[in-house]
Amino acid sequence: MEPRVRADIRRYIVATWLSGDDRGFDDETDLQQSGILDSFTTLALIGFLDDSFQVQLEPAEINADTFRSVSRLARLVVQKLEQREKTGA
Amino acid sequence: MRIDRLVSPWAERVPDRVAIEGVRETLTYRELDRLANRFAHALRAAGVEPGDRVGVHVPRSPRTVAAMLGASRAGAVYVPLDPGSPPARMQLVARDCGLRHVVITPGLLAGWIAAGVQEPVERFLLAEDGAVPALPAPGRVHPWPEVQAASADPLPPPGASPDELAYLLYTSGSTGVPKGVMLSHRNALAFVDWACDAIGLREADRVASVAPFHFDLSVFDIWGSLSRGATLVVVDEGMVASGRAMVDRIQARGITVWYSVPSAILLMLENGGLADRGAPSLRAVYFAGEVFPVKHLRRAMAALPQARFYNLFGPTETNVCTAYALPGPPPPEATAIPIGQASCGDVATVVDPEGRPVPDGEVGELFIEGPTVMLGYWDGGRRTPARHPYPTGDMVSRRPDGELMYHGRRDHMVKIHGFRIELGEVEAALLAHPGIQEAIAFAVEQQLVAVAIPSQPSLSVLEVKRHCAARLPRYMVPGEVRLVQGLPRTSSGKIDRVRTRNAVVSGDTALLAPALRAEPRKEP
Repeated sequence: MEPRVRADIRRYIVATWLSGDDRGFDDETDLQQSGILDSFTTLALIGFLDDSFQVQLEPAEINADTFRSVSRLARLVVQKLEQREKTGA
Repeated sequence: MRIDRLVSPWAERVPDRVAIEGVRETLTYRELDRLANRFAHALRAAGVEPGDRVGVHVPRSPRTVAAMLGASRAGAVYVPLDPGSPPARMQLVARDCGLRHVVITPGLLAGWIAAGVQEPVERFLLAEDGAVPALPAPGRVHPWPEVQAASADPLPPPGASPDELAYLLYTSGSTGVPKGVMLSHRNALAFVDWACDAIGLREADRVASVAPFHFDLSVFDIWGSLSRGATLVVVDEGMVASGRAMVDRIQARGITVWYSVPSAILLMLENGGLADRGAPSLRAVYFAGEVFPVKHLRRAMAALPQARFYNLFGPTETNVCTAYALPGPPPPEATAIPIGQASCGDVATVVDPEGRPVPDGEVGELFIEGPTVMLGYWDGGRRTPARHPYPTGDMVSRRPDGELMYHGRRDHMVKIHGFRIELGEVEAALLAHPGIQEAIAFAVEQQLVAVAIPSQPSLSVLEVKRHCAARLPRYMVPGEVRLVQGLPRTSSGKIDRVRTRNAVVSGDTALLAPALRAEPRKEP
């Protein structure tokens, strides 16, 4: 599941904030140092995670560490999806 | 002094010296003086009265100058019209200032007729041989031989006061509606005399005419060279599109003084081979009209080590009001050069939004008082007088050494999510990247957009953002970065901000073609 989540997040970021130019961008690219995420784009990304994966982040989860890179974000999303499956089952 | 009186003394002293060297035609001082008189007589015979506006819609050539001088000698206000503008825009200008007479070429007149544009113009005077076409509305076309046959004797001087209106320059204004800036003889010559004295312009000089005549830079070229008995060398509309053609012209004609927008100099560096070929005849380079990115300025100064460089500054409404003589190439750590100190007899103050002077180092609006401040806007004949001191709309700060630094247009200050952003600062950061050739920034709704021309196809959007994030507060990092092959230009050669922004908003990819992409080198 994680590769698909990663790909979705990556595609969204490249389309929304990199004018579709994915050169140099990968799952480990630092989203803050690269000027992609600030407080407003972070909000948009949170909205995207909600719309695409029905994942809602807790305030404590919204921090620089989680939003460091595509891979960290994807890991959190997958964690939450798996948790939901367990509790739902 | 008045513009209409500048040339005659030289026509008497050095009648056979070349006054204007065109591409197909050359006029000596005597020939220029006599042709200007013929235009003056022909315009009077066609009904021009003192104070009337006379349009001059002729590509840049010796004859164009003779027509403007002739209109001035007839007591009229000359209005240079852009040969590259569509007739519909010319009609907006003609209606605004009530043009009844236009000096024009047969080719450009054919364009007016084909577009069904004529009113309010009643009389056209042809500046070249050609068929006399039928007009769509009542009026008359005077063929060129009629001008040639007019008397070459001087008319009685039209007036004595240097404060009379001499010419109108139409600027596009931020709304896109042309605005007629009213300039007096004193306005023009305060700048011209200052600029001639600053470089010691003399009879042996050969001054380039690069700027379009409807653009205020040309005021120095024309009246500076002709008031000092020098030679004006036309670098015509065909040449200014090519860096190579411009360098060829400088070299072949031994041009000594050059005044243009930085974009034209950049073009000579980029595709004219200026860095390798040099231009040893050039001794003074004035530039104005837009910010000269320091990295390109360094290249230009390295290519022309023998030339003095001067940054001139001022909106059309004040002609030139501050100036900075570069003591040498900008030091490596410099990201901008000063616009200097008040020039031309003007006084510069830096004020806050309430009009109070701000302390040195703080950013405020530049207010100008002095002889270069325009009379006002023509404004459909209402003649709105200029405010005094004149608020330029330019944001500047004064350094401890007295030099003014430019921070961009007041209307280039945008607010995004409550943050005040100076677009000039964003652009300076973009240009600091070695892989960016040219760049502009603007706001679209609540998003900061940058449009840049990369100098290497390997430059990626991510790299541009990362570069900005390392230099600017996060809220000043452009949210959207477009890498494009070229940017639209205004008729004066500057980057056209309005059209660029409109193309982004409307998604026009014809105007903003995406730059070619190549994989960047792998990062370590």
